[in-house]
Amino acid sequence: MSIKRKVLHFFPTRVAHAVQSPLAKYVLRRLLYLIPLFFGILILVFVATRLAGDPVKLMTGLNPRITAEARERLTQYYGLDQPLYYQFAKFLWELFQGNLGNSYALRGGTPVTTLIGDYAWETFKLQLAALFFSLVIAIPIGVMSARRQYSKLDVSVTTTSLVGTCIPIFYMGIVTILIFSYFLGWFPYGQAHSLEPSRYPFGSYTLDELWHLALPTAVLTFATLAPVVLLVRSSMLEILRQDYILAARASGLSERTVVYKHALRNALIPVVTYVGLYFGGMLAGAPITETVFNWPGVGRLYVEATAKLDFPLIMGITVFITLMVLVANLITDITYAYIDPRIRIE
Amino acid sequence: MTNELLKIENLKTYFDTWAGVVKAVDGVSLNVKQGETLGLVGESGSGKSVTALSILRIVPRPGKIVDGRILYKGESLLEKKENEMQKIRGKEIAYIFQDPATSLNPVFSIADQLVEIIRHHQNLSKQEALERAIDLFKLVEIPDPEVKIWNYPHQLSGGMKQRIAVARALSCQPSLLLADEPTTNLDVTIQAQILELMKNLKKKLGMSMILITHDMGVVAGVADRISVLYAGRVCESASARTIFYNPKHPYTVALLTAVPNLAIKREKLKVIPGTIPNLIEPPSGCRFHPRCEYAQPACSQEVPPLVEIEPEHYVACLRAKEIDVKSPLRAE
Repeated sequence: MSIKRKVLHFFPTRVAHAVQSPLAKYVLRRLLYLIPLFFGILILVFVATRLAGDPVKLMTGLNPRITAEARERLTQYYGLDQPLYYQFAKFLWELFQGNLGNSYALRGGTPVTTLIGDYAWETFKLQLAALFFSLVIAIPIGVMSARRQYSKLDVSVTTTSLVGTCIPIFYMGIVTILIFSYFLGWFPYGQAHSLEPSRYPFGSYTLDELWHLALPTAVLTFATLAPVVLLVRSSMLEILRQDYILAARASGLSERTVVYKHALRNALIPVVTYVGLYFGGMLAGAPITETVFNWPGVGRLYVEATAKLDFPLIMGITVFITLMVLVANLITDITYAYIDPRIRIE
Repeated sequence: MTNELLKIENLKTYFDTWAGVVKAVDGVSLNVKQGETLGLVGESGSGKSVTALSILRIVPRPGKIVDGRILYKGESLLEKKENEMQKIRGKEIAYIFQDPATSLNPVFSIADQLVEIIRHHQNLSKQEALERAIDLFKLVEIPDPEVKIWNYPHQLSGGMKQRIAVARALSCQPSLLLADEPTTNLDVTIQAQILELMKNLKKKLGMSMILITHDMGVVAGVADRISVLYAGRVCESASARTIFYNPKHPYTVALLTAVPNLAIKREKLKVIPGTIPNLIEPPSGCRFHPRCEYAQPACSQEVPPLVEIEPEHYVACLRAKEIDVKSPLRAE
């Protein structure tokens, strides 16, 4: 199956739109299409969280001296006594004003926007570092592996990648912490910064930041790397068999130009699709990695919010994640049109 | 022999696969003279393309040239270093592929692809290379060259793409053109146009050409000499006229008979019984013997050498002199 067809198979509407309309129109149409999707997601999550339980009960359950009246007051205070549609309408109304409400549980009712703002940067830092390293490592390895199909190098690369894909990330995280933090003591156990400036390596804040970043980045990179290597490899194998690669060789172009210019550009098309879709999810944070490494990111915040039935925070993070995924998809589509002229617009 | 441009002796190109060693080309000898068109004819799998790819040493893996000599302008190509070969590919010897739809890179504009090759072989600025590319477009008779050159392959028709493939092959004025079924994937009317174009350009630029095809009609119009390949070996090699009117190898005759011909009334087209042999364990002796109506026990024992039975007419058949085969084209 050709790459083009493979991709068409994935995104028939997307490609059809792109082929027919100019880029601006295309982007606009995509955005319009995203609006119902966005609200659909909000409704689903809103209903799901309200079905999950009563946060007032959770807050007061361990306190034997709480009265039924006090409970009633709390429920009223949070507006949970109102009908569901009213709650949702209120949520939307506030959302349009840029207000996501206050957290029930964290930091004594801090605004959700402030919380996300604080945690999002740590997530971006970690995810961008992991994505950067995984691409920088995965693409050359995938290409080398494809060029020497069935060689020892190729077999070890594919085996390692398969193993990498199979090891759950929490396990890899725990083992890494065990070895490099507990036994060897080279890296901190978790968190994004040392608590006291006196513990900064060489007194440098930046170095401290990088020192904390190293382990979670390594684990996340390895987990992201494996599927990308396999994808680059298989895509490259298919492209290297194409006539135009043979034609490029027959024209006397050097092997490097043939592989890294003519083949790679084609082979990256499915990789961009994959990474783009993956990237959207990544920006939302990696709940497991962040929890294992006690990383103050959005993913861990989401886990905490869910555990505490912190409705405003859950909804706030949902809005954030949804927007991130949608933006990432849009960027993917545009990149995609940039790489592949067949998607590009007349 | 000064006018001999390319000489291939006993070329063997094998593919080492899981199933065994595929002897795709197993002792092919050919020669091409200056300014001449050699037609390389045979069924699918007879080793035509692999022979051509071997000349440029770009046989895809796991293919490997295991034996033989390829002399180009008296120099042995098999002894050249990879970077020396890169200077020959595209500049001295150019290749035109069978399928224009897949032989152009879909993600680069035609201008990018042509300019890249021109600048790779010639010391020209981008602007000069672009002008050269536009000239080439005019040469291959593409309308609106200044506009069309910025197109991407998917915006062009098959015939256009093949014209561009021809332009690409001609971009550095090669001495030898390897055309691998250049018209097979085109409509019949476009086929004729492209063939005509190639014929004229060849004359204009004084090139030699190896035209690979399974279509006897195509070689008839273009080739000066023809070599017939069967299962990785040459079975007959002579001037086009001789091959058509006075063939000596039973396989050549069978090929000619299998071509529909309006001038000869026949109830049914004659087919060659059987299929092309398995090249991992090819038949012993003459590879055509299991399908040959003239086969004798000796044919399965002895490999027939390519013998010059009359001047410039080579045949690899043990019984070439005894049997009386007749070209269907000569039937009254």
